[in-house]
Amino acid sequence: MSIINCLSKNSKGLFTLNTAVETVNLTKYFKGDGGKERIVAVDHVSLSIREGEFFGLLGPNGAGKTTLIKILCTLVIPDEGTARVAGFDVVKDAEKVREYIGWLHGETGGRALYWRLSARDNLRFYAYLQNIPKDVARKRIDALLEFFELDKDADRLVKDFSTGMKMRVMLARTLLSNAPILLMDEPTVGLDATGAIETRRLLQALCKELRKTIVFTTHNIFEAERLCDRIAVMNRGKIIAVDTPLRLSEITRKYRGVEVRFRGSSEEAVRILERLEFVKRIMSIQPEEDYTVIRAEVKDEEQALSEIPKAFSTNGLKTIGVQIALPSLEEVFLNLTGGEHESA
Amino acid sequence: MDLKVEDIVKYLAENIPRGGVGPFEKAVAFIIRDFKIWWTYKLWITLDILSSLTFVATYYFVSMIITPQALIEAGYAADFLTFSVIGISVQHYVFTSVSSLSDAIREEQWNGTMETILSSTTSFRVFLLGESAFRFIIGSYFLLASLGMGVLLGIRLVLNPTSILAVFVLTILLVASHMVIGVLGAAMILKLKQGDPIVWAFSWLTQLFSGVLYPLGLLPDWLKWVGNAFPLTYSLDGLRRCLMNGEGLDSPMIIGNTLKLILFIVVVLPFSLWFFKKSYDSTRREGALGQY
Amino acid sequence: MNQPEILQLFRVEEKRSKSSLRQLFAVVWAQLKMMLAYKSWLVMDLLSTLASVVMYYFVGLQVDPHQLSRSGWGTSYLAFSLVGVATSNYLWACLTRLSHSIQHEIRGGTLETIAVTPINMLMFFIGLTARGYLVSLIYLVGVFTVGVYGLGAKLSFTPQSLFVFIILFVLMLVSNQALGLVAAGIIMVYKRGDPLVFILAAVNEFLAGVLYPLELLKRFPALQVLSMLFPYTYALDGMRRVLILGASVFDVNVLTDILVLGVFSMLLVPLGLKMLGWGYDRIRREGTTSSY
Ligand SMILES: Nc1ncnc2c1ncn2[C@@H]1O[C@H](COP(=O)(O)OP(=O)(O)OP(=O)(O)O)[C@@H](O)[C@H]1O
Ligand SMILES: [Mg+2]
Repeated sequence: MSIINCLSKNSKGLFTLNTAVETVNLTKYFKGDGGKERIVAVDHVSLSIREGEFFGLLGPNGAGKTTLIKILCTLVIPDEGTARVAGFDVVKDAEKVREYIGWLHGETGGRALYWRLSARDNLRFYAYLQNIPKDVARKRIDALLEFFELDKDADRLVKDFSTGMKMRVMLARTLLSNAPILLMDEPTVGLDATGAIETRRLLQALCKELRKTIVFTTHNIFEAERLCDRIAVMNRGKIIAVDTPLRLSEITRKYRGVEVRFRGSSEEAVRILERLEFVKRIMSIQPEEDYTVIRAEVKDEEQALSEIPKAFSTNGLKTIGVQIALPSLEEVFLNLTGGEHESA
Repeated sequence: MDLKVEDIVKYLAENIPRGGVGPFEKAVAFIIRDFKIWWTYKLWITLDILSSLTFVATYYFVSMIITPQALIEAGYAADFLTFSVIGISVQHYVFTSVSSLSDAIREEQWNGTMETILSSTTSFRVFLLGESAFRFIIGSYFLLASLGMGVLLGIRLVLNPTSILAVFVLTILLVASHMVIGVLGAAMILKLKQGDPIVWAFSWLTQLFSGVLYPLGLLPDWLKWVGNAFPLTYSLDGLRRCLMNGEGLDSPMIIGNTLKLILFIVVVLPFSLWFFKKSYDSTRREGALGQY
Repeated sequence: MNQPEILQLFRVEEKRSKSSLRQLFAVVWAQLKMMLAYKSWLVMDLLSTLASVVMYYFVGLQVDPHQLSRSGWGTSYLAFSLVGVATSNYLWACLTRLSHSIQHEIRGGTLETIAVTPINMLMFFIGLTARGYLVSLIYLVGVFTVGVYGLGAKLSFTPQSLFVFIILFVLMLVSNQALGLVAAGIIMVYKRGDPLVFILAAVNEFLAGVLYPLELLKRFPALQVLSMLFPYTYALDGMRRVLILGASVFDVNVLTDILVLGVFSMLLVPLGLKMLGWGYDRIRREGTTSSY
C-alpha cells in the first residue's frame, strides 16, 4: 500500500520503532482552586501504542483523558515524564509532531470552528494551514463534505448548523490532512445514529486499510468494545488497566457467574433460580428474539452448570445453553473505576 | 456517589412551591456574579483605572495652549481644564451606560450562557436590569476617580448645597435618559450581534455635537441643531453650569435642561421598550438568541 | 461518495509545501472573509474616526496660535493634531484588532485547533494583525483626506516628504508590532486584552504628545524621560517635522528619529518574540489554550 511507503519515507523513526505513541511516566499537575491544592490530571502514565492500532481510552468524567490527548497533540506541556508521537518528543519537537497528527476535540460541541465562515471555507482555511496542495485539498474537501452529507450545506455559515453538523465539519477537518496518527477526543459525540455508524466504519477502515493509528476517547462503552484493538481504562489520572476488550473482561472477573439461555416464562425461571441455594443473585434478564438470557451470580459454577438445566427441565422450561458469564465491558468499567463518577 | 437514586427521588418528591425571590434580589444576584467574575481579572483593575486617568493629564497640557475666550462667550467659567475634564468624564460615563446593555448581551452570547438565563424563570426586564447594574457601578467609580484626579491637577469645582442638589437631579436624569438609549442599542445587538449602530452613532455624534471638548457656540449655525437631539448636550450644559458656575435648580438654564431631559425620557422610553420587544421576539423566531 | 472512494483518495501521497507565506495568506484571507460579514461595521468605524478629526478642528478653534508656535510647530493646531490623531488612531485600531482576534480565537476554541497544525505561531499572529493593518489603512487615508481637503489643514505632501513619511511610518509599525507581540503574549495568558491595549494607547497618546506639543512637558522631567521610552514619540516627532515643517531626510532631527526607531525595532522585536513564546508555553503548561 502506498500509504505505508509514504509513511516510511516521511518518518523513518516511526517505522523502525513501529510505535506510534509512547509515553513514559507522563504526569501533569494542574493548580486547583486558589492555587494551593494540586490536581493530578495525568498520573505517571506509561503507554505504548503500536502503529496501526485502534486504541481506546475509557474513564469517568475528569479521569484525565482529554488532558492526556492534549499532551499528545502538544497543546499541554507535561510536568514530568516524556511522550513521543511518531517518534518525536511532544515538548522538544512539537512542530514535527504536528505534521503527523490530526486532532479532534469533540467535547467542544462544534465551538472550535469559525462560525462566521462557511463549512467549505473552514475546511479550505485548514487545508492551507496544513500545507495541503490546492487541487488535492479541493478534491478531498468535496469528498469529505459529501461523505458527511454536508454537500448541500457546504456554503452556509457554520453558525446556523446543528450540533451534529458542526461535529461533521470538525471530523472532516481532522481527516483532511490525512495524518497517520489520529487523536480523537469523543469523535461521535452529538452525531445521530447513522452518522455515528458511518463515522465508526470510516475510522475502522482508515485504521485497517490505511494503517492509521487511532487513539480515541469515548463514553460509549459499546463503541469502544466494538472498535478497539486495545482499551486503556483511566481513573483519577492513572491507567488502571490496558488490554484487549476480551481479556479485560476475563481479568476483571471478580465474581462467578453463569449465563443461561432458555425458552419459556422468565418469571418462572426467576422463581426457580431463587430457590436454588447456590445462586447468589440474578444480575440481568434479557429477552432475545425467541429465547431469554438470564445472568446470575453463583457460589459454585460447576454445580450451576449441571444443576440449572435439570431444575429448569423439571419445571417445563427448555434450556438452550448454559455457560460461564464474562462480564460486559460496562461491568468491567464499573468494576475497575469503582462505579464512581466524579465531576470536574 | 454517596446519595442513592432513591434518596434523590425522595428529596425531589417534596413539592416546595417556587417564589420568594423578588426581582430586586435577582438583580443583586447578577451584581454579585459580575463582581466575582470581574475580580478574577484582578491584575487589570488597576490598569483600567490608570488608563482612564491619563486623559485628565493630557488635557492638563492641552489647556496650556488654549484661550478661554469661547468659554467665556458661552457663559462658563474661564477654565478649559475643568470644562474638558467634566466633558470627557461625563461622556465616558454616559457611553459606558449606553453600551452596558449591549456589552452585557454580547458577553452572554459569547459565553453561551444567554439562552440558559433566558430559559430560567427570570424575565427579560430583570435580566437587563441586572446585567447593566454592575457596569453602572464600575462606571460611576471611574467618573469619580477622574474627577478626583482632575481636582489634584487643579480643576475648580464650585460645590454648594444648591449646586450639589442640582447635580444630583441632573445625574439621575442623565442616567435614566441614557438607559433608554441603551435599551435601543441592546435591541440592535440582539439582532445584529456585532457593531451596534446605536451605541456607535451615539459615541461619535455626541463627541461632535454635544460640546464635550468645546462650547457649542463654535459650531457653524447650520450644525448647531444636531446636538439638540441628544440628552448628553443638556446634561453636560447643566452639569457644567452647576459645577463650574455654582448655579442651582433655580437658574432658568438649569430648569430648561431638566425639563428637556424629562421630555426626552417620556417620549423615547415607550418607543424603545416596544422596539426591544419586537427585536427580542424576532430573534427568537429566527432561533438566533445564542449566536455570536 | 462512499467509503472506498474516500479511502482511495487518501491513499494518494501528496507533496506538502513548506511555505509559511501560504499559511500567512490563509489567515489573512479567513480574517478578511469573516470581516466582510460585518460590512456595515466597517463604514461605521470609518465615520467615527473621521468624526474625531472634525472634533479636533473645533478644539483647535480655541487654541492660541502664539502658544502653539512658541513650541515650534507652526500656528495650525489642526495640522498639529491631525498628524497625531491619524497615526495614533491607526496604531490603536491595529492593537485593538489584535487583542480582539486573540480573545476570539481562544474563546472559540480555534486557537487550539490551529496550534496543532504545522503553522508557525508567529505567522499566525502576524496574520491576525495584518487584517488590522490593512483595514485601518483605509481610515488613515480617510482621516488625512478629510483633514487636508475638507478642513484645510496645511500639510506638505510632496513625493519627497511622502517618502520620508513612509519610512517613518513603517519603522513605527515594526516597533509597535513588536509591542503588539508582547501584548499578545500577555493576552494569551491573562485572557483579557482590552485594558492592556487601552492603557498602552492612552499612555502612548499622552506621553508622545498627540494632542499637545511635548515642549510643555519640560516642567516635568520625569514625564519627559518616560515619553522618551516609547518609539511612537520619535515616529510622531519625525512625521510632524516632515509633514508640518517640511523637513527633508537630511534634517538632523529626522535622521535621529529614524535611527532611534531602528534601534527600538532591533531591541523590541526579539523581546516581542520572546514574550509570545513565553505566553504560548505558559498556557500550554496551564492547559488553558481554550479557557477564558
Ligand atoms: N486547565 C486546567 N486547569 C486546572 N485543572 C484542569 C485543567 N484542565 C483539566 N483540569 C482537571 O484535570 C482533570 C482531568 O480533566 P480532563 O478534561 O482530562 O478529564 P476527561 O477524562 O477528559 O473528562 P471528561 O470525560 O469529562 O471529558 C479534571 O479534574 C479537571 O478538573
Ligand atoms: Mg474529556
